[in-house]
Amino acid sequence: MMGESCGWSFLLALPDDIFAIVAQSLSPRDVCNLCLCCRSLSALATNDKVWFTQCEMLRVVPVRDLVEWRKGVLSYRVLCKFLESVKSLIGIWVHQNPELGNVVYVMPGFISIVGCRIIPQELGPLGIKEGPILWAPVFEILGDIDGSSLFFLHGRDKDDDYLYPGSVKAVDKACNMLLLEVVPKEQISGEKFADDKELLARIDPLRSLNLKSQRVFGQNKQKVQFNRLAFGDRRKLLETVTSQVRLKVPDLASGLLFPRMSSDYKNFQQDFMHLRERRYLLMQMHKLRNNCSKYNGNSQPPADPTQLEISEMKKALEISTGLRTSLGEDDCLTQSTKRKNIAGYFKDGLKQILGKSTLTIYGRERLRSSTSRSDSKHAQLQEFLYSGDTIGLALNASNGKLSSYRAWPNMHDSRFALYKLPMQEPKPSQEYGGLWGGTFGWPPGMPSEDKPGKALYFLFLSYEESQDQRLLIATKILEGTHYVLHPNGSAMFIVNLDEPSSETFPWDSDGDSEPLNITCAYTGEGIANGYGFRYPGSKPGSLFVIQGGLLAFIWKESRTVLTMQRLNLQELLKKGERVPALPPTANFAYLTKSYSNVFAGFSSTSNGLALQR
Amino acid sequence: MASESKMIMLRSSNNEVFEVEEALAFESQTIKHMIEHDCADTVIPLPKVSSNILAKVIEYCKKHVTSPKDDNNELESFDAEFVNIDKNVLFGLMSAANYLNIKSFLDLTSQALADIIEEKC
Repeated sequence: MMGESCGWSFLLALPDDIFAIVAQSLSPRDVCNLCLCCRSLSALATNDKVWFTQCEMLRVVPVRDLVEWRKGVLSYRVLCKFLESVKSLIGIWVHQNPELGNVVYVMPGFISIVGCRIIPQELGPLGIKEGPILWAPVFEILGDIDGSSLFFLHGRDKDDDYLYPGSVKAVDKACNMLLLEVVPKEQISGEKFADDKELLARIDPLRSLNLKSQRVFGQNKQKVQFNRLAFGDRRKLLETVTSQVRLKVPDLASGLLFPRMSSDYKNFQQDFMHLRERRYLLMQMHKLRNNCSKYNGNSQPPADPTQLEISEMKKALEISTGLRTSLGEDDCLTQSTKRKNIAGYFKDGLKQILGKSTLTIYGRERLRSSTSRSDSKHAQLQEFLYSGDTIGLALNASNGKLSSYRAWPNMHDSRFALYKLPMQEPKPSQEYGGLWGGTFGWPPGMPSEDKPGKALYFLFLSYEESQDQRLLIATKILEGTHYVLHPNGSAMFIVNLDEPSSETFPWDSDGDSEPLNITCAYTGEGIANGYGFRYPGSKPGSLFVIQGGLLAFIWKESRTVLTMQRLNLQELLKKGERVPALPPTANFAYLTKSYSNVFAGFSSTSNGLALQR
Repeated sequence: MASESKMIMLRSSNNEVFEVEEALAFESQTIKHMIEHDCADTVIPLPKVSSNILAKVIEYCKKHVTSPKDDNNELESFDAEFVNIDKNVLFGLMSAANYLNIKSFLDLTSQALADIIEEKC
């Protein structure tokens, strides 16, 4: 490393402006390494100017937003840390169900990233670019004052909006799967218990001794991963934990997630004020819930702690299944009456869950002599719960081996996951990649007055090389009809970019009677009915590129035309209209097969939308 | 009579005077402003820049002013060789580039320093 002090002293003499310019060419990691060299270099390299440039280089948010975001964190360095950790989450995430489409767009919010689901919908009277797009919140990751990530899942239960706090596992830079998990956590060392020695001694005299041995013991075991558990166990764990950790959303907190599109400076500043207040409130709520072990018998315990005491769950497990634990841990005798209430609550909830599982899977009578398979499943669940002291929600962004067919990932149907669509940056030879919004019919975009609203389609265009042919594939990721026509992720059309089309475009002018200029045309195939729903066929057609950023695919035989234009989702969402979310687990990943619009609990016809405006 | 391009005199910190063409001197925004706003006499003093550094700066500006615009490869290799020097000289060049406000030169020297740091890290 930089051991020689003599040659590098000039570095310290550099004015910080110049050092900021030098730092532009350095990665954040290198700047951090500089900080480690010596105290003076550390002072130079932790300068806000240097880290401001680093934040800029990440290109997550524009400079104007960076300046606003800086006001809510300790320094540009921690802001850079937060931005780097969430950068790879930004983009389009999808899921197979419902077949109409499940598109979650993750974008920057306010010192946060927000996952918004665009629900299947029809175009409003103002067309694609202006008509407010309907969206529902899925999750948020807020940046704390020190740059750490606070995860909140959005959900709705019986007409009330809730937030479900949790943690974020270290994000894999090349992540392609976003998983919702339940993770056991160990209480961090004796520090957390320092204040509560009295409480601890009352509850469990041997626990403080057990803790150390438990941790040592725990380190020797292979930890059971959440994803290894059976589907039923995972679903039940998620449902239990979410029902316990949920936070009622006060009006302030149910407001804005990101600043709206506004040319009015005053509105803009007001939005920022609301966003700041909301963020502060959420930060407090998240922190409070994490310290649930710190309350003493006198004060009101938080009704919905973020972390459940695993000891309570273990106790409930023992009672309902009659199995003895192999660790020989003492039962957590609850001395405080308030704790008893919560313990009782957990016990009942879990008894219900485990009671059900014992009935359906094991059968009460067969408890002692259960089959080895159900034994191992049960043992796995127990081992999973034993590996920590508390349990909570977590978001896991990981990279998994995923195969895909025609740009659509092959998805596991029992994972609570969202899958990332790879970014398609328009390049010189690949200028059509990315997200396009489409409708059927001509003229494009605007619904006609007498007909009902046009269904809005989202198409994700990507390139593929196959047998020396350059193909452009349009994958359908959202369909705005009431009942789906083709499976989610089908290729609406595939054209060969090396094969120009000799077909003529049927119209001379567009909706505004402006003359059309067809730049080029390609031959290909468009989707058609095949062998049932799951296996669509294809029929010949041509893709026309119209000047002004319009694409049109026409089926040769039926003369059906699908017109597409590029969408800036971030802008559309900022002008959009928020609709209620689903129950938490379903809101994240909807695993039930469905062919209709499960996200709309209200009328989604254009008439309905027009009335709402 | 063909008018000759105006010559500017630059005095370094150790009192050595360099005579350069106006076009070349105008690569430096600092010098350009001083002349345009009549803040300078016949000789412009540059107390923060020593002779050897000033000589190198002039060499850089000369190359960039006189080279044809489309010969990028030649300029690139010149630049690469130019900053392949001792760290202390590089530091001197950076300070001069900052003081004289020659953006392209500052970017070049900063990038060179960043590369050295990266190598070490």
